[in-house]
Amino acid sequence: MSVARPLVATLLLAVYPSSRLYSQDSQFGIQGLGTPGRFESVRARSTAGAFTPFDPLSPLSEAPLADLSILTATAMSGTSYRESDFGGSTASLRSTRFPLLSAAGRVAPRLALAAGFTTYLDKSWDVTQRDSFLLRGVLQRYTDELTSDGSVADVRFVAASRLNRRIAIGGGIHLLTGSTRETAERRFDDTTFHTVQQLAEVRYSGFGVSGSILIGVAPGLSVAGWARSDSRLRAKTGDSTTALTDLPHGAGGGILFAPSPSVKFGGSVAWRSWSRSGPGAFNTWSWSGGAEFGSGRMPLRLGVRGGQMPFGPGTTAPTEFAAAAGTGRSFAQGRASIDLGVERLERRGTGLTERVWTVLVGLVVRP
Amino acid sequence: MRVRRLALIGAAVLAAACVEDLSAPGVCPNYCPTAGLTIADTVLYDLSRDSSFRGYVLPHRSALLLAANVPGVVDGRAIFRINGPGTRFRINPNDTTTGLIEGADSARLRMVISRYDSALTNLTLAFYRLPKTIDSTTTFADVSGAFTDSLLRTLNIDTLLARPNRKDSVTGDSAAVDTIGHTITLFVKFDSTAARYVGADSGSVAYGIRVSADSPVSIAITSGLVSGPQFLSRYIRVDSSGVPVSRNMGLGLSAFESFVRNPPPPGIDSTLTVGGAPSARSIIRVAFPRVIRDSSQIIRATLSLVPAVAAAGVPIDSFAVEVHAVLVDLGAKSPIAIDVTHTDSTMIHIGTTDTVQVEVTNVLQAWAADSTQPTTFVLAARDEAQSFAEIRFYPTIAAAFRPALRITYVRRYPFGGR
Repeated sequence: MSVARPLVATLLLAVYPSSRLYSQDSQFGIQGLGTPGRFESVRARSTAGAFTPFDPLSPLSEAPLADLSILTATAMSGTSYRESDFGGSTASLRSTRFPLLSAAGRVAPRLALAAGFTTYLDKSWDVTQRDSFLLRGVLQRYTDELTSDGSVADVRFVAASRLNRRIAIGGGIHLLTGSTRETAERRFDDTTFHTVQQLAEVRYSGFGVSGSILIGVAPGLSVAGWARSDSRLRAKTGDSTTALTDLPHGAGGGILFAPSPSVKFGGSVAWRSWSRSGPGAFNTWSWSGGAEFGSGRMPLRLGVRGGQMPFGPGTTAPTEFAAAAGTGRSFAQGRASIDLGVERLERRGTGLTERVWTVLVGLVVRP
Repeated sequence: MRVRRLALIGAAVLAAACVEDLSAPGVCPNYCPTAGLTIADTVLYDLSRDSSFRGYVLPHRSALLLAANVPGVVDGRAIFRINGPGTRFRINPNDTTTGLIEGADSARLRMVISRYDSALTNLTLAFYRLPKTIDSTTTFADVSGAFTDSLLRTLNIDTLLARPNRKDSVTGDSAAVDTIGHTITLFVKFDSTAARYVGADSGSVAYGIRVSADSPVSIAITSGLVSGPQFLSRYIRVDSSGVPVSRNMGLGLSAFESFVRNPPPPGIDSTLTVGGAPSARSIIRVAFPRVIRDSSQIIRATLSLVPAVAAAGVPIDSFAVEVHAVLVDLGAKSPIAIDVTHTDSTMIHIGTTDTVQVEVTNVLQAWAADSTQPTTFVLAARDEAQSFAEIRFYPTIAAAFRPALRITYVRRYPFGGR
């Protein structure tokens, strides 16, 4: 019990404030719906997502929850240091996000349930721009600042069951909800023109369903598959619906090979039909491969991943490539663990390159 | 304990990491929001039901006494009265015994010139005795006779200021100059004639001041009970058991202050008149489009007024015109909003016939913020009845020169769109 209170305090800090449930930001999402979340726990993220379809604490696939023996809660935070390179001019940005909170446990011999939320779309950005135009016969110079602060969260309720020794299945429903506080400001150099300041709170809602399967092919060899379909994202300002955007369907799978309890290799792929959401959006493929060495006090996790970003200018989707590493440490007789990870990510698109360092901290509690 | 420490360190790290810097330069159009701020600029001529009224601040209510000598424009003269003590005065301050006042020996008049043109030469004040019956109905014609034959003395201010310590030991006059407030305080010595005591008048005296210089001149003298013209001292002779003794009556404040002008202020016609003394105001009503009022943010609004008659006078008579919102539209008696969020202003320069542009953004923003407010402008001088100058603008019925309202506004940003 002496351990429980600080752990609970840490957990609470990790999820507070709830209005800042964001994932990693990107300039690529400004013209699109935002930057999609990664649906990964720190452990999975440290393998660059290779273990995600098999990770019961990652909110991507439900079937692995069937093997969760006791009530487990997890939360994570990520601090990103981002450098955006616009053809030579750079900007350094920093953000901290708390993209995951989840609790899961077995409620019957063959049934496990989980609930929690994760970032579905990060919609935080702040853009400043200098420009001029002819107004009242005079060229007026001004500075625009457009900001959006908020996200769309995926609140999920899932169930999973192990059908037999080899097969486990799961399914879930997803309520998409969130809001952004958006501002538009224009400051004229000529102060005769008053500063333009407009703001609004935009609320978002949507719905999705998902299902997954986990198959033990042979001792030490498992495969997983998942699919998900989301409906439309409704944006409302006040009482008015300002946008209704189709959300993607997605599917993916993975393979996990564990030649020994202390060595695991994994790989995964995923596809999402983001092009449904309109112009400037692309269907995306992503892949990842990773490994975990050691299952005792401090395992080492490694991984690389690549793929495409769903939103960007031009005719081809921006691409991304990342390498990640991490470790973890259990304590309190295995009732709690801290996972640490670091990720180096590079995104490339028309005229823009983003390089991101992300430090990840995850906490798992099994009370 | 190690676990506890780890947990606390983790909590501290998480808390310290909550810092954001998301601001990035926009590389548009590729990496900026697709929607931008849309600015529109329009000119409204839908101004109507305009009219002018005079008499808001009368000369005897003005904070300044005006004196001017601008040939062909205005001849203005300050007038004031200082009431006397009656026919008897205390012989000793500690004794209630009074004696008959036999006459006056001298007096020292204090007055402050609060507006003048320092470039003038031979700025001269002439003091006249006026009948003590002057009041708010007194006109220039009423006192023109006194201003012709009752000259008491003159005071050349340039000469006085040029003397050592600004003091004339012969006349007893002196002056103090406030270079920051740009005022001249004059201490004028009146002899027994100028400060005479007439028992039938209870010792009350009235004076008029006429101003002259080598060029057209206009000055303002501070008015008011405390700051207006006043006797700092007034020596009288009091009968004390058959022996005349000199006594100082002390401070003698003005009981009445005003000014008269020739010609009288021109009558109100169809033009939009602002300023002058008595002060005039004009009212303009605006048909404010709902599309701008309800759905836009006004970032600049400019009221354009074309002078029909330029403001006349000397340059120092330039004055500020304020455009006020009204609390309720009651025509001439509309109460005006005087706080800065409901008021805008511009300077009117003497002699100019250029179109006057008044930035009225504050007023229009106030209208947009409260749709119950009447969309009516009131044009008034900032310091009413403190200058003879007034300006007349073309009214809305003058199609070619009618007032116009130019509004620059921003439409609602499409928040929540892609």
